[in-house]
Amino acid sequence: MRRARTLAFLAAVMLLAACTQAADTTTAPTTDTGPATTADTGTPTTADTGGATTTTAGTEPSGGGLLGEVQSRGSLLCGVNETVPGFGFLNADGTRSGFDIDYCRAVAAAVLGDPEAVEYVPLDAQQRFTALASGEIDVLIRNTTFTATRDGGEGATFLTTTFYDGQGMLVFTDSGITALEDLANTAICVLSGTTTELNLATRFADIPYTPLTFEDNGVLQPAFVSGQCDGWTSDKSQLAGVRSAFPADQGGPEALTILEETFSKEPLGPAVRDGDSQWAQVVDWVVNATILAEELGITSDNVDTFADTDNAEIRRLLGLEIESDDGTAVFDAGLGLEPGWAANVIASVGNYGEIFDRNVGPDTPLGLVRGVNDLWLNGGLLYSPPFR
Amino acid sequence: MIPNARVPFWRNQRVLRGVAQVVVAAAVLFLLYVLWFNVTNNMRARGVRTDFNFLDQPFGVRIAGSDLSPSAPVRSALLNGIRNTFALAIVGLPLLTILGVIVGVGRLSTNWLVAKISSAYVEILRNLPPLLVVIFAFQAVILRLPPARNPITPFGWFVISNLEFHVPGFRAGDNYRPFMMVMLVAVLLGAFLWWWRTRVHERTGTPHHRWLWSLGTVALVGAIAYLILDRPLTITLPHLEGRVVDGGYRGLGAFFAVVGALAFYTSSHVAEIVRGSILAVPKGQSEAASALALSGFQRLRFVVLPQAMRIALPPIINQYLNYVKNTSLAIAVGFAEVTLVAFQAIGNGQPAPQVVVLLMGSYLVFSLVISFLVNLYNRHLRIVTR
Amino acid sequence: MTTTASRPVAVLWMRRNLFSTPLNAFLTVVLGAGIVYLAYLLVRFLATSNFEILRVNLALFMVGSFPRAQLWRVVVAMLLLALMAGLAGGMLKAAARERSKEAGIRLAEVRGSRAVVGWLRRFWPLSLLVIAALALTRTLIPTLVVIAAVALLVASRWLGGRLGRIPRRVGWLSVALLPLGAYWILSASGLGWEDWGGFMLNIFLTIAGILFAFPIGVALALGRRSSLPVVRAFSIGYIELIRGVPLITLLLMAVFALGFFLPRDLRPGSVTRVLIVITAFEAAYIAEVVRGGLQSVPRGQSEAAQSLGLPGLKITRLIVLPQALRATIPAMVGQFISLFKDTTLVAIVGLGDVLAASSFANAQPAFNAQGLARITLPFVALAFWAGSFAMSREARRLERRLGIGER
Repeated sequence: MRRARTLAFLAAVMLLAACTQAADTTTAPTTDTGPATTADTGTPTTADTGGATTTTAGTEPSGGGLLGEVQSRGSLLCGVNETVPGFGFLNADGTRSGFDIDYCRAVAAAVLGDPEAVEYVPLDAQQRFTALASGEIDVLIRNTTFTATRDGGEGATFLTTTFYDGQGMLVFTDSGITALEDLANTAICVLSGTTTELNLATRFADIPYTPLTFEDNGVLQPAFVSGQCDGWTSDKSQLAGVRSAFPADQGGPEALTILEETFSKEPLGPAVRDGDSQWAQVVDWVVNATILAEELGITSDNVDTFADTDNAEIRRLLGLEIESDDGTAVFDAGLGLEPGWAANVIASVGNYGEIFDRNVGPDTPLGLVRGVNDLWLNGGLLYSPPFR
Repeated sequence: MIPNARVPFWRNQRVLRGVAQVVVAAAVLFLLYVLWFNVTNNMRARGVRTDFNFLDQPFGVRIAGSDLSPSAPVRSALLNGIRNTFALAIVGLPLLTILGVIVGVGRLSTNWLVAKISSAYVEILRNLPPLLVVIFAFQAVILRLPPARNPITPFGWFVISNLEFHVPGFRAGDNYRPFMMVMLVAVLLGAFLWWWRTRVHERTGTPHHRWLWSLGTVALVGAIAYLILDRPLTITLPHLEGRVVDGGYRGLGAFFAVVGALAFYTSSHVAEIVRGSILAVPKGQSEAASALALSGFQRLRFVVLPQAMRIALPPIINQYLNYVKNTSLAIAVGFAEVTLVAFQAIGNGQPAPQVVVLLMGSYLVFSLVISFLVNLYNRHLRIVTR
Repeated sequence: MTTTASRPVAVLWMRRNLFSTPLNAFLTVVLGAGIVYLAYLLVRFLATSNFEILRVNLALFMVGSFPRAQLWRVVVAMLLLALMAGLAGGMLKAAARERSKEAGIRLAEVRGSRAVVGWLRRFWPLSLLVIAALALTRTLIPTLVVIAAVALLVASRWLGGRLGRIPRRVGWLSVALLPLGAYWILSASGLGWEDWGGFMLNIFLTIAGILFAFPIGVALALGRRSSLPVVRAFSIGYIELIRGVPLITLLLMAVFALGFFLPRDLRPGSVTRVLIVITAFEAAYIAEVVRGGLQSVPRGQSEAAQSLGLPGLKITRLIVLPQALRATIPAMVGQFISLFKDTTLVAIVGLGDVLAASSFANAQPAFNAQGLARITLPFVALAFWAGSFAMSREARRLERRLGIGER
């Protein structure tokens, strides 16, 4: 009987706990119905994030949407990779570097005026879209390929591509393999949870092969080097990095060959959550600003020297005063950012060319050339809409 | 004060017990309801499908060591993964038992070096994370084998590379099915003879010769059936043609890395159990056996081990369960057992909650069946010992 | 003279212990050759490998991306924990001494160099790890910190052993508060556990997982033995459900699906989600350990308490649980070790623990694509092996001690 009373007490406590839990949850579903119904009618509104801001107590109304949320939070939640050389990795001192990391910093510089105001959220290939959809991150910059299903089905909106990559195949030079067809009846190493895996299946639909799927390059690479698989397929930028860093005692870069065929398009770029067009525009224009800056010859070194320039586009981009009929004014594109945000971006991370050269360019271990990732003026694919 | 007054209902034990249970049940059900409510609402709000129809969608990628095409449904891919998990269990469990018994007995060896090495084996393996053991086995052992483009062929019977092992195997002939039927009957007959000889032995004390009777019957029936049915099974040796290996049975290198690593790791736990159980057998038993002039091996085989095994079995079954659960670590070296397949499915856009629930369910079924059998066996043991 | 005297002894010993039968001789030769070969491989590995990747990344392995300017917090936390461990050890020892004095047993005191040798014998795996790690450092500071921590440990152990009965209460209170202080130091200035990484994350997940799971585990164990069928059924259901699945599937649940089960405004970070799942997982195992302890308490104990008129809650709290929990200490240490080893799995779901640090280091420009996992993984393995081995030895020692105390 004594024990029964104890248990009754325990049960009461549990019920109480359950009730408080319920109190938390009952508020959530009511706000949930907002986005759910708008989604049904198919109108692209900002209801999703609108719901989020109304439920978050104490959020300042300034800006509204995710932009306002980020500004009132004072930091940008950026979903990144930490094991991709050149694009996103952890330095020995605990800081992060890479092409993608620089774009996180660029967005933070534009939105918050401080490139360091980034909270990095490392994500697995499998986790990234869940994290984006659930609001764990504000922007996903994690060498993610822009595809239709991801854009449509995963609740993500892809923005201007920052890096045009393509899938290639790495083989040992002395293996005699010169084309993908030579890999028939061999094993091919690939990382799991990537578009690479799917492209491989598509390209090799008629070629018999064994896919060896790994979670981690640290295990994949020894498997390739020891000859377990004859080919290693990945984005060509990654394979180039592997090749150029291949140790001299195993033959150096010449021991490896990247087959010529590029069998998929891999446009890598930032993605944001569906339903907040203002935030999408902001991230989009941060990328455009870096491209435009290179086109206009603005670098992190000379960004301060344009105060007297006559070039109207530079003046608009950098937020310098422009003479007009009724005195002087500062151009505001209506993105909801402080004037001069682009100058901040360029001062802190540089223009596109600088970002490229610093992280993946010819002087880095990856040693990539610009190729299609050059300005349209030089025959590449980078083309920013005009800033006006 | 009033000895025969009715107990007020708030002190009535039966009422209290009932109320407590209702309250607990209500609380738990309410909690489950809240979770269900959240999960369905959140998934709908984020546009994630909440049904299990994704099982019929194409899996999208190939799986090593299977003939499934990329357009095969997710369902088949998961089933293939479950089959691979089973394969890991079936090969690994006997291996780890043998290793565990050898090392466990070795720790009690009179040979100083054997005892020391056995305890080093236990102490090193037992204190390493199994995940690291698996990765080491893959990188430091399997990958050291000759590369896939240049395999070795010992005796012409095997084709071995770090990608795949090929061993001689059987190939089904024309009358394969009838032959298997006959063999099934023969095995049943053998089992019956075993039981019958045991009973005769228990009743009359005549030597039972169980092995002779049952195995003899199976072999005899098998041989006759084999001759009559005109070679229903043939042995095939793997042989190399360019990069293609024909015939025989094959296993991926990663499979052996996982089996080997986990068998070694789990055997270190089993060895400790075996040692403890042997020490738990009263010393008098072994001394009495010496007094009967049994040799060291006979003492171990007929007196000590049977008694030790009875003590050791429940914890060893527990280790078997751990082994099966640990096969999920194959994910680290890319062997496509069920966890890796589930991981791939999630990575390729299938809804995570459902996939994870299916994954957990498949392990749970296996564990519950084993637990049930162990409980049955324990009950059986208890009756026997009393 | 000594050689002539000792040779027959050695030969005799070898004949008896290595070559007693032909089989034994065979085993000795084969295994001996194997050992020599393994030793050769080890020496070759140590002599020919370049450990630069570890030297450069040691902090990454230890604390992940924890800001380097805040490393002093880790140092202070370490010192506080050393203080706690020393105090607790000293007070436990003093309490044991008093109990045995009351019981009229005299414990032999080990002092001086023999005590040092004894400590080395007990903690050589940990010492090996610490020395290996310190050999990889580039400045003197880590060495000084370790020396300070050891000195603090020894001093506080001495202090703990000399506290009287009343100050010992204060001592135990500070033992309980010091880890909280360590946590506070680490997490102040906005660095929550989401920012922790490396080996520190593994250790944190282990300790926090066990601590949070313990009360739930005890409740489940009591529930499993409850006379109320509904309570029993739920407890058994929960325990068997969790024990039936691998931790990795629960971790997948944590990173992919847990967010769906929580209210929308609740967005715990990945470390928190993993910690929730580890707690839920560990609770089921602790429940089984505690159940074993409860079963070891003779029924007569609670019957005697009942006959004294103690109410049910008090019987459980004062009579049954203390005895049961005492009996579970070695098994709890075993559970602690197994969780410690299992924390490596968080690397698979994308947390930056010490195993993930190995991948991070191998993705850096200076070390990419050179197959240096053969250097980093053994180091990670050594860290886990040393920790687990030391703990399991201590657990066995404790088991013997408790066993002796019991009988």
